[in-house]
Amino acid sequence: MYYRVSSAALNGLEAAIVNVEADVSDGMPMMELIGYLGSEVKEARERVRTAMKNSGFSLPPRRITVNISPAGIRKQGTAFDLSIAIALLGCLGCIADNAAQEMLIIGELGLDGKICPVQGVLPRVLKGMEMGYRLCLVPIENLKEASMAGNIKCIGISSLSQVYRYLNNEEILEPVASVPLKACKSSQAYPDFSDVKGQKGMKRCLEISAAGGHNLLMIGTPGAGKTMAAKRLPGIMPPLKEDEILELTKIYSVAGSLPPEGVVVNRPFLAPHHTCTPQAMSGGGVNPKPGLVSLAHKGVLFLDELPEFRSETLETLRLPMEEKIINISRCGMNYTYPANFLLVAAMNPCKCGYYPDTSRCRCNENDVKKYTGRISGPLLDRMDMMISAEEIGFEELNSEERSESSERILQRVLQAKERMNYRFIGNAVKTNAEMGNNEIIKYCILGRKEKLLMKEAFTKLRLSSRSYHKILKVSRTIADIAGYEEIKEEHLIEALAYRRSEFF
Amino acid sequence: MSDAFCKSSAEKYRYINRFSAEYPEKLQEIKNPPAGIYVKGRLPDPTKPSVAIVGSRICSQYGRLAAEEFGSVLAKNGVQIISGLARGIDVIGQNAACDSGGSSFGVLGCGINVIYPKQNAEVYKKVEESGGLISEVAPDAPPIGAQFASRNRIISALCDVLLVIEAKERSGSQITVQRALEQGKDVFALPGRIHDVCSAGCNRLIAQGAGIATEPEAILSLFGIYKDTGNSTSDSNKYGREKLEKIEKRVYENIDFYPVSLDEIVSKTRMSIQEVINVLFHLQMKGYVSEVAKNRYVKTKL
Repeated sequence: MYYRVSSAALNGLEAAIVNVEADVSDGMPMMELIGYLGSEVKEARERVRTAMKNSGFSLPPRRITVNISPAGIRKQGTAFDLSIAIALLGCLGCIADNAAQEMLIIGELGLDGKICPVQGVLPRVLKGMEMGYRLCLVPIENLKEASMAGNIKCIGISSLSQVYRYLNNEEILEPVASVPLKACKSSQAYPDFSDVKGQKGMKRCLEISAAGGHNLLMIGTPGAGKTMAAKRLPGIMPPLKEDEILELTKIYSVAGSLPPEGVVVNRPFLAPHHTCTPQAMSGGGVNPKPGLVSLAHKGVLFLDELPEFRSETLETLRLPMEEKIINISRCGMNYTYPANFLLVAAMNPCKCGYYPDTSRCRCNENDVKKYTGRISGPLLDRMDMMISAEEIGFEELNSEERSESSERILQRVLQAKERMNYRFIGNAVKTNAEMGNNEIIKYCILGRKEKLLMKEAFTKLRLSSRSYHKILKVSRTIADIAGYEEIKEEHLIEALAYRRSEFF
Repeated sequence: MSDAFCKSSAEKYRYINRFSAEYPEKLQEIKNPPAGIYVKGRLPDPTKPSVAIVGSRICSQYGRLAAEEFGSVLAKNGVQIISGLARGIDVIGQNAACDSGGSSFGVLGCGINVIYPKQNAEVYKKVEESGGLISEVAPDAPPIGAQFASRNRIISALCDVLLVIEAKERSGSQITVQRALEQGKDVFALPGRIHDVCSAGCNRLIAQGAGIATEPEAILSLFGIYKDTGNSTSDSNKYGREKLEKIEKRVYENIDFYPVSLDEIVSKTRMSIQEVINVLFHLQMKGYVSEVAKNRYVKTKL
């Protein structure tokens, strides 16, 4: 007696279709699972046997072999339980020969026969759709996520006996209509910028960051509100596009950290603690899960207390920031996850936090240098803008005046984004921050007056060629926000004020 | 680079013991004169007036500018500037003196072949060329705290007037003042704002009867030198702000000798951040303002 159903195995963000074959034959009573399986998959034997017994199916005392093929790819996770159980039901003749064909079966079994949710459902369903499957059986908890795939019917199931009845046409389960991504709403709203009083410089820099994708370093006294302002950054970034939502949901699904609504609609904001390890940052484990750099994809990675981070942790950021993806090699396998994030970092100017306020700062010049020197040069080189922030005074704290709302800032950002989109049609570059030398020459053209100004600034402010290019890119964004096609003097001057200065 | 400098001039020092004719008389007179001194360059000329400019290592922009002004005006008028070549006020005053063509003498707390801190290598060279370096400890002695306190008595001994630019309540400068008073020298202090920790020591000295250093002329007149007003640097600076435009003045009025942040200027002037940045940039280019830390601005003229 032989039976075969389909399921899918995960490898990084990509899924592969696998066949789950079961055979019951004469011989010593035993049940064996083969096919290059991880230990979670091997444990399925006990879960499946018990779940079947408790759902009213008893396995005969015969030789049972289950193979998950192709046997050459590693299978991990608990998503194969249900497909194994259905293959066995087929072997026992409980379901018709063609009842479970052309469908993808995903789900973990509890000992009582209940079906438990699993990680990484969306990539598997997408693969099934691509390979022409007509139907997907997924745990009911994963249904929302699965239905995002679009052109494939998904049925949510809650127990093994329910699946049995469905396959024997005793119970009718309707596939859910897929929810259009545009209609997906998040249960959580972004915090609003109108709560942040004062701090005009910091807010302006965040606006430029959001528009042009420039990495930002904020320096300021403790309690200046750096974290508070940074948290509001995703709210002034353009809403996620459909493909971005799909990509993010895939990442979060694989990482097992989807929000309750099953879809990632908000731009991520990640603020890891400074004790974070390099593996947590890049992604790690025997079967590497996406790390913080991937979870912050299309969103903001906020590093508070930057000098306190271990240098190895910070060094892992360098490559993803350059290539926008991260490659992890573990156990002979290569995993690639997207990692296109906006880096915002915050730090105190010195150990006590008050430099250069001589009345409060207890550090001498060497202490200050030592503190700022903890951050490696290559990482600092990747910071496009720098701004200082300090505690706001009593008057501002108590002023009734509401600050500008996120909504209004977003309007300007969107306008700038539109200019950028138009500019970079058909180009791999999508934001001003990503511009290389060729794009800078093409799109950051300076007039005569502007050239003179930069010449003066270059010598007087002792700029390097690298910082010169960064200033041009930031000024491009400032001009975009202001709605100018050509970069004017005032845009350059503003960009100069936010440059990475020689104090670092 | 500083290592090379150490080596090349290593052979040039002389040792002058207490019984040598060359030994400065001013040192002979004090309670515990050094047994001998190592000298590079020359010793202060006893026939010329000399002023010691001392102050704290961490100084404000106000102290920095005052040290520059006093150092350069006094040196231009033939006064020898003596100090300890330490970080902060010391080195600023001596550098200004050298730059304006005067002579300056550095009394070191470490060996004469040791440059401490290393960043001051350039000023060491200038001081050696314009005047000389003096130390009482062995030529290669490392910088040790106690030596710095005891070299202060040599600084005060060699000068006629001691000028304290900025000092906290407890600081090395106070030791120099103590020694100077014991040795019967005049002490001047630069007045500062009350509540300003950097000036607390100076203000206390004034309360105790020190001379008030409101301008370099106050010290020059002690020596009977009357400066001709033609070539003063401070005068041209003082009236320079008349050249500023109205909007520039509005911003400039809110900038001080103490670092003021961008946000503070924005909220005080009630201008938009872009406008303020624009004006600050032009002030910077014209040399009125400088950025001492990220987005912190100070005046560059007194």
